[in-house]
Amino acid sequence: MENNAKKWNVEQGDDRGSSKVYPPPAPVRVDQTKKKRKKQDFWVIVGFLGPALLIYGLYVIYSIAMTFYYSLFEWSGIDTHMVFAGLQNYITLIGDHVFWTSLQNNFLLVAASLLTQLPLGLIMALLLFSPIKGMRFFRSIYFMPFLMSTVAIGILFIYIYDGNFGIVNQILGQLGLESWQRGWLGNEETAIWAVIATVCWQFAPFYMILFRAAIVGIPEELYEAAEMDGASSRKKFLKITLPLLIPTIITSSILSIIGALKYFDLIYVMTDGGPNNSTELMATYMYEQTFTNFNMGYGSSISFSMFIIALFVTLIIIVFDQKRKGAN
Amino acid sequence: MWKPKVWVTALIILFITAGCSDSESSTDGGSGDDTSKTLTLWHIETGESEVAIEDAVKRFEENHEGVNVEVVRQENDPYKTKLSVAMGGGTPPDVFHSWGGGWLEKFVEAGQVKDLSDDIDPEQFLPAALSPAEFEGKNYGAPLAMDIVPVWYNKGMFEKFGLEEPETYEELIEIIETLKSNDIVPFSLANQSKWPGSFYYMYFAERFGGPDLFNEAYKREGRGFDDEAYVKAGEKIRELAEMGAFPDGFNGMNFDTGQSRQLLYAEQAGMIIQGNWMLGTTRNDMPEFEEKLGFFLFPAMEGGQGSKKDIVGGVSPVYSVAEKSENKELATELVKELTSKATAQQLANTDGAISAVKDIEYDDEYVQEISNVLEEAEYMQTFYDQTLPPELAEVHLDTTQALFGLSKTPEEAAKEVEEKAKEVLE
Repeated sequence: MENNAKKWNVEQGDDRGSSKVYPPPAPVRVDQTKKKRKKQDFWVIVGFLGPALLIYGLYVIYSIAMTFYYSLFEWSGIDTHMVFAGLQNYITLIGDHVFWTSLQNNFLLVAASLLTQLPLGLIMALLLFSPIKGMRFFRSIYFMPFLMSTVAIGILFIYIYDGNFGIVNQILGQLGLESWQRGWLGNEETAIWAVIATVCWQFAPFYMILFRAAIVGIPEELYEAAEMDGASSRKKFLKITLPLLIPTIITSSILSIIGALKYFDLIYVMTDGGPNNSTELMATYMYEQTFTNFNMGYGSSISFSMFIIALFVTLIIIVFDQKRKGAN
Repeated sequence: MWKPKVWVTALIILFITAGCSDSESSTDGGSGDDTSKTLTLWHIETGESEVAIEDAVKRFEENHEGVNVEVVRQENDPYKTKLSVAMGGGTPPDVFHSWGGGWLEKFVEAGQVKDLSDDIDPEQFLPAALSPAEFEGKNYGAPLAMDIVPVWYNKGMFEKFGLEEPETYEELIEIIETLKSNDIVPFSLANQSKWPGSFYYMYFAERFGGPDLFNEAYKREGRGFDDEAYVKAGEKIRELAEMGAFPDGFNGMNFDTGQSRQLLYAEQAGMIIQGNWMLGTTRNDMPEFEEKLGFFLFPAMEGGQGSKKDIVGGVSPVYSVAEKSENKELATELVKELTSKATAQQLANTDGAISAVKDIEYDDEYVQEISNVLEEAEYMQTFYDQTLPPELAEVHLDTTQALFGLSKTPEEAAKEVEEKAKEVLE
């Protein structure tokens, strides 16, 4: 008690001392210093933000603008000769059934990502909090897929899905399900699902880490209080963990949706959009048009459409989120 | 305490010093460049042929003091896109690989390839090998080797089931049925890359429509890509796919990762239609399989106009010089060395390549045999996907893959190619 009182005194004394050193200035002077301060702040802000803004402007804003500019031309990309075509590329795009297939596949991937990656990530994150022996081992194992290079995963899964030597068919054979055996990546009906499963396998650990970090951040007191009131562990999850995870779930959803809309790499490695365009995504189709078929103009129009679609979807999510916050 | 002047000055100093160190290092690099020049070579050869290319580069470096060649081996399937990105970005390799045809022509039209007409001696090469890199009477590339596409088969397996090399298509169908009934995949095929399936389409179309069919369609004189022969070719492919002549999921298998070859080596498949690079690849993959490897030519179809002696093939590699190269003269010299008689002879001896260069002696009996086939050939059908402009080639490859996957009818596929041909070629 005594100690605290002393401290209090000292602090008060200090306060009084400082107010003596800096007497309040006249009102006019305040305005001037504020102005000067603002000017100074401006330059500091420019100094710090400028370089980043320059890079962002050059590699994002300028690139998007140039993509739109190129999409107005008929151009091979290797030629110096460009023919202005107006919106012709976009008109072709609307009538291009491969583009629609790829858009459909993109939304399929969005749905699959939301419905499998997030729940799977959450389940794995929860598992990591349960008192199982060798938790550190499981944590590393679960996180492994996300650390592997995408190309390595792609080639690994090409062999796993191989119709003749692949482990999937071997296991099905062992289980007596011979009729289910097939070349998974070679059939138009199964190829897209086989690739989507691989994508989910790769990215679920990423969400696991996000959720794990969020769960660690939930105060222990809440659980203790709930326990005192006799809440079951199911109740604790539904009434404490889940509601407090909502912001993380929203962030994860945005990441996952945008990621799925722009997705490219595993498809390129595993199927290259085939067979017969059945696994084509917007990004792989753009790549094929631009670099294989030498249609830089048309490729750019696909690319710009991708941007618009992703922007639109993000705006919808943000509006929803704002509404939810307003309701709360 | 904010002292903006200090901060701004610090920033300026930072930029200036950064700029200084930058310019210093570049002058350092400049002085180094004067004594040694670097050429970049992009190729896609593997195994023994890669050794031949490297040896040629060594000879070139010995003859040209202070010139350093950076050899970059690219993977086959992504190579095309990689080169077009490099060309479009203005940083092409000095010397690059191609197959001639419509793909190279695209770069020629864009003014990206050096005219080699005055540099290479046409007398040195076989005429059929030079023509794929000739556009409007000028030559844009020097060929090194030629490829043909026979049907490869497992000799031991044929013996075991009492089978013989087929003379007619009916006999081939019988072989397929025998192999099927013994749980062997008749034809191994990795068609994710699409070009392996294209061999079937080219052969069937040629066998039905005769040697002039493709040129008529390509030059837009006479028959088109929707000709009856093309529809029939599509029907035959469907027939084969429906009777299970190919492994499960072949449309998702990749040639580059070895999925079709493995089936052959594991003796789970009996035959494969592939280029004569199969020989070099096998020697690299599984040398002991070579003694089982035999080949025959794709049989003629009854009532068709093409003969068994007409062969699908192409020229590969063709080496060209980029117009944007800083050392065009040196790069041309490198192309000459790469396509010299010494390189061609080494390639013929070790890789089983048929030379595009004249007067090569073959001591490998396989190669001698393949070379005889080429000499006896009445017509060589160059690969569609390399001869046609890339946009049209892609449609041909896509529709053929769809035919194999039974997701397009022969009529639809032929019509689609013809429509694109009208758009691109006319």
